[in-house]
Amino acid sequence: MKTEDQAWRDLQAHAAAQLRTGFADRALRVARGPEHATWRELNAHASRQLRPGFAERVLRAARAATEVPSLSSQFALSAATAIVCLAAVVFMQDRSAQQADERNLADWQRIVLGAQESQDIDSI
Amino acid sequence: MESTSTTALADLVRRAQKGEENAQRELIVAYQHRVAGFVYAMTNRSDYVEDLSQQVFIKMVRAIDRLQAPAQFESWLFRLARNTCIDQLRRQKLRRIFLPFGEEHENIPEPPGAVDTEELDALRHALAQLRPQDRALLALVQEGRSHAEIAQTLDTTVAAVKARLHRAREHLREHYQPNHEN
Repeated sequence: MKTEDQAWRDLQAHAAAQLRTGFADRALRVARGPEHATWRELNAHASRQLRPGFAERVLRAARAATEVPSLSSQFALSAATAIVCLAAVVFMQDRSAQQADERNLADWQRIVLGAQESQDIDSI
Repeated sequence: MESTSTTALADLVRRAQKGEENAQRELIVAYQHRVAGFVYAMTNRSDYVEDLSQQVFIKMVRAIDRLQAPAQFESWLFRLARNTCIDQLRRQKLRRIFLPFGEEHENIPEPPGAVDTEELDALRHALAQLRPQDRALLALVQEGRSHAEIAQTLDTTVAAVKARLHRAREHLREHYQPNHEN
């Protein structure tokens, strides 16, 4: 029959067997939090995601971005186009109204002349 | 030594501000790894690193002439990086609202072991549990930024930075389990 001490030792041995190797190191790592080396590893992993020629690609993209017209210049161009269109519409409208007036005036003059002629004939 | 390198950096920034392409290239090459690390810590996505880093440096090239104090270039650059990452995370969140896909389709986790060691996997896992603002804070500390510089980058006070940093470190330690089961 096992003594009580022996039973405790067995329990401890069983519990200890549940711990994976390197338990102390892992516990210390958790307690300290991530070390500087781990952060460096993180940075190194991130750096490996940049394909060679990164700086050149950035400069090319930045140049291309500056060649694209800015929002304000695009807006200015749209506004200028709208003004030109509006001016053209007003001009055409004005011109056609003027032509209609001239036509109407000519018609009236013809009518007046016709009326005068018939009045002259009547008076004779 | 420190002041010499600060002066050299300020000179390089001034040249870049005048539109010297070589100076702009030197700045990109000098900072691309650090910005990539910061972007990765913020987004936890390898496939975002190149694209977002490129966005950060394009913004840098286009806006560098408006930087008032060349000596504060680093704070300014990391502020650009932080804002770019936060914008991306916001867009991602909005996409999840409007697109009929589950989060699992959008936020594809990297398979365990895809990133080198157990510690690195654990750090990524722990960072993923934090708010983006806290990730930015921890990544800036790892960048070697002082509390004052971080306060400037994040537009807040040094006291607030210290308090938030304390909480962020606590949270990180809570979730950092190098032996966690994935």
